[in-house]
Amino acid sequence: MVSLSIPGEAMLASISSSVLRGVDGVPVTVEVHVAGGLPAFTVVGLPDAACREARDRVRAAVLSSGLRWPQQRITVNLAPSGLPKAGSGLDLPMAIGVLVASGLLDSQRVADVAFLGELGLGGAVRPVAGIVPLVEALAERTVVVAPRCQAEASIVGRHCVRAAPTLAGVLAALEGSAPWAVGPSPLDRADSAAPISSGDLADVRGQPLARRAVEVAAAGGHHLFLVGPPGAGKTMLAQRLVGLLPLLEPSVALETTKIHSAAGERLPIGGLISWAPFRAPHHGASMAALVGGGSSWLRPGEISLASGGVLFLDELAEFTPAVLDALRQPLEEGRIRLARASGSVSFPARFLLVAASNPCPCGNAGTPQPCRCSVAIRRRYRRRLSAPLLDRFDLRLGVQRLDPERLTIGGPEESSEVVAARVAAARELARHRGVGANRDLAGALLERHAVLGSSGRALLTDALRQQRLTARGVDRVRRVARTLADLAGDAGAELRDEHLSLAMYLRAEPEALLGVEP
Amino acid sequence: MSGWSSSADGLSPQRAIGLGPTVGQVEAGPLGEEVHAAHVVALLALPGMGPARLGRLLSRHGSAERAWQQVAAGVSEAVFGQLGRRGDPVALAAAWQAAAAGVDPRARWQAHRAAGVVVLAKGGYGYPDRLVGDLEPPELLFAQGDIGLLGHPTVALVGTRRASAYGLRLARSWGDALASAGVVVVSGLAAGIDAAAHQGALDGLERSGCTPGPVAVVGTGHDVCYPASSRALWRRVADVGLILSEAPLGTRPEPWRFPARNRIIAALADVVVVVESHERGGSLSTAEEAAARNRVVLAVPGSVYSPASVGTHRLIAEGAGVAVSIEDVLLALGSRRPGSTPQPLPPTAPLGDAVRSGAGPMAEQERNLLDALGWEPTTLDDLVLRTAWSLDTVCAVLNQLQRLNLVTQAGIWLTQRGD
Repeated sequence: MVSLSIPGEAMLASISSSVLRGVDGVPVTVEVHVAGGLPAFTVVGLPDAACREARDRVRAAVLSSGLRWPQQRITVNLAPSGLPKAGSGLDLPMAIGVLVASGLLDSQRVADVAFLGELGLGGAVRPVAGIVPLVEALAERTVVVAPRCQAEASIVGRHCVRAAPTLAGVLAALEGSAPWAVGPSPLDRADSAAPISSGDLADVRGQPLARRAVEVAAAGGHHLFLVGPPGAGKTMLAQRLVGLLPLLEPSVALETTKIHSAAGERLPIGGLISWAPFRAPHHGASMAALVGGGSSWLRPGEISLASGGVLFLDELAEFTPAVLDALRQPLEEGRIRLARASGSVSFPARFLLVAASNPCPCGNAGTPQPCRCSVAIRRRYRRRLSAPLLDRFDLRLGVQRLDPERLTIGGPEESSEVVAARVAAARELARHRGVGANRDLAGALLERHAVLGSSGRALLTDALRQQRLTARGVDRVRRVARTLADLAGDAGAELRDEHLSLAMYLRAEPEALLGVEP
Repeated sequence: MSGWSSSADGLSPQRAIGLGPTVGQVEAGPLGEEVHAAHVVALLALPGMGPARLGRLLSRHGSAERAWQQVAAGVSEAVFGQLGRRGDPVALAAAWQAAAAGVDPRARWQAHRAAGVVVLAKGGYGYPDRLVGDLEPPELLFAQGDIGLLGHPTVALVGTRRASAYGLRLARSWGDALASAGVVVVSGLAAGIDAAAHQGALDGLERSGCTPGPVAVVGTGHDVCYPASSRALWRRVADVGLILSEAPLGTRPEPWRFPARNRIIAALADVVVVVESHERGGSLSTAEEAAARNRVVLAVPGSVYSPASVGTHRLIAEGAGVAVSIEDVLLALGSRRPGSTPQPLPPTAPLGDAVRSGAGPMAEQERNLLDALGWEPTTLDDLVLRTAWSLDTVCAVLNQLQRLNLVTQAGIWLTQRGD
């Protein structure tokens, strides 16, 4: 079973594994060459620091597992050698390669098997980030991972996923002398991780316009901009919004899971992220944190982690203007392309943007209370938000602090469950039009599905003449009116006046909201 | 007399004295009183030159030409001791001499004509009658627009730059109503109340096409729009109204110029209405100047909690009249100018009345929504709660009312137009 290596005779092993590039895995072959010469251990093929340090971990793990370390010259090549490799996932394949090349393991045992795992000095097999895309890249039938990664690795579904807690355990299982460890079995999709408790829409009372805006944003995927003084419930509304979004479609769920996996985020039990994610980065976020980046390992940013769900930017005007302007491309294309000297990657970033802002630094502009800020300060605050960015918001509205008495008026409000059912039906209508959401209706599709009748045309013309609406806003108002009609169950192509009216009130001019004259 | 022959800028005596057309020159140069005006223009462009300093300089030297020659020669520091308390006379003389070097008053004067700015000299043609006997009449006025507007009754609508929604709404609607009553609205083209007053007067003009345009008195040169954000409004006022300034082209905004500008506003107005003023607002200086000139000063009361009304409330306590409606202003104007009481035009509410009385073609819903709206700024959310209608219905009816101009919107605030 164990063939002793003959001194002077070179032995070669070739083990399959993969590394991350952006959010995608790339297959890598770990070639191990053991031959006579002064004892040494070199790793070639553009390893990064973590990868180069694998030498010490691998040697320690092999020795701790009670195995012999070959006192020979060991060369590890990571092919393709032109591709930079990062991370510690290649520890396990290197160790297996050394064992095979030094004759401690039969190469037949590792045929059609790939390995992914970090090694502890004591020989433990540890999980690595990004296991979903890493496994997805592998063509082998069997994949060996750390036990804690087993459920996550099984999401891909094409492979026979094996796990063992230690290097010795892997070796024994490969040789057939011990069984593989039994990891947690993947749960059904439906009862996988419950969403973050985001509160119920029934709690939002006395703000019918804002309630409707949240429902429209969820149904049509329209980006939402909320302006109001502190305490007006902006954050509360944003959190309610994510609870209205439908479950992610399987392909989107896998993509979102891959991104979270690649970013090293904790995945829910069962592995698959099937609920729309909610990301709320603080306004101090750097460019790399928000859109993604890094020097050697290009990590997905918050906008990619929010893909399929909601990106909530509170205090929008406090973000660095350059960071905000970087959002414009992903808002338009649903992807972010990052280019670095080491190469370029493209991350999905199809998120619903919800932004909130105070009207001015003191919070009182546009409210009955007098504003303590000078005109110049209000203008400077307004200027931090570029017009092209604000133009991306189909829904822009002011919210007010609530009088306590208003909370008690009227009957109980609809719960999130009722609204979510309407949202799901409206999304279904949009899918039949061939778009993911009404936000994407443009050009010929908009002409076909958001028809202006003569009275609707007159209504918009009047608003244009009275400068209540800008020419750029017309298409956005039509899109929102389409969503309003979908939510009302009105599938007729011609838009109704009441929906156009409401859509206009859901799109206020930012200057008016921010208390500066245009 | 040695001043101009040895002048540092090498001005030839001929050019300095003559300023007349030279041989071969196509365009005619300034003649007669224009020579005086040209030198005053040049003097006004000197750093720190205000009306008081100019007045002393002219009375000391007898004529603008002599004053200019002395300044250009840099030999006049002896007179600076009396030119003002602030500053070092020797340094000021040096600064003026440096600024005057190489300046040709005639070219300056012609630059104004080329820019379409009319130079009105004290006592000369077109100089406003109201300023002739003034306490501190400007030596020169730079004008752009219709000088004839100053023959109408005038009301100054002034107030703070940091205005509340209440003040802005009131200034705009009164500006509109005054213009509709045939009154010229005078203000300062600053942000806030001033801009709203001008905008209101322009609204009135736009609707009827025959009301007088607004008059603006600004503190900068005609080519320096301040604040820069008012550029469009500025241009519009110059087109259909009148912009006056005491400062030549190229004059940047400086803090001391605005109180000086306020005295001209006060002098040009028959009635001064202070819409909103903070505790130490610049519009209080307009009120003071107006009182010194025996003009009627009215103040608009506001909320006692509003810092933007502290100044106006103090004016009332000190004896200013109270203006709570446009009629108060027109009455004050009428008592001021006997025989010329302007006839208030019927307010633009016949359509609104028709709706409110139910006589018009409007449905009951529209009337009910107007009732729910009341006379205070209201949000859409409040309307939904008050009517208990669905959001869609409220929006549809409200939009109808906005199309009929019965309701206006500013940010989230909806207001019924009652004027």
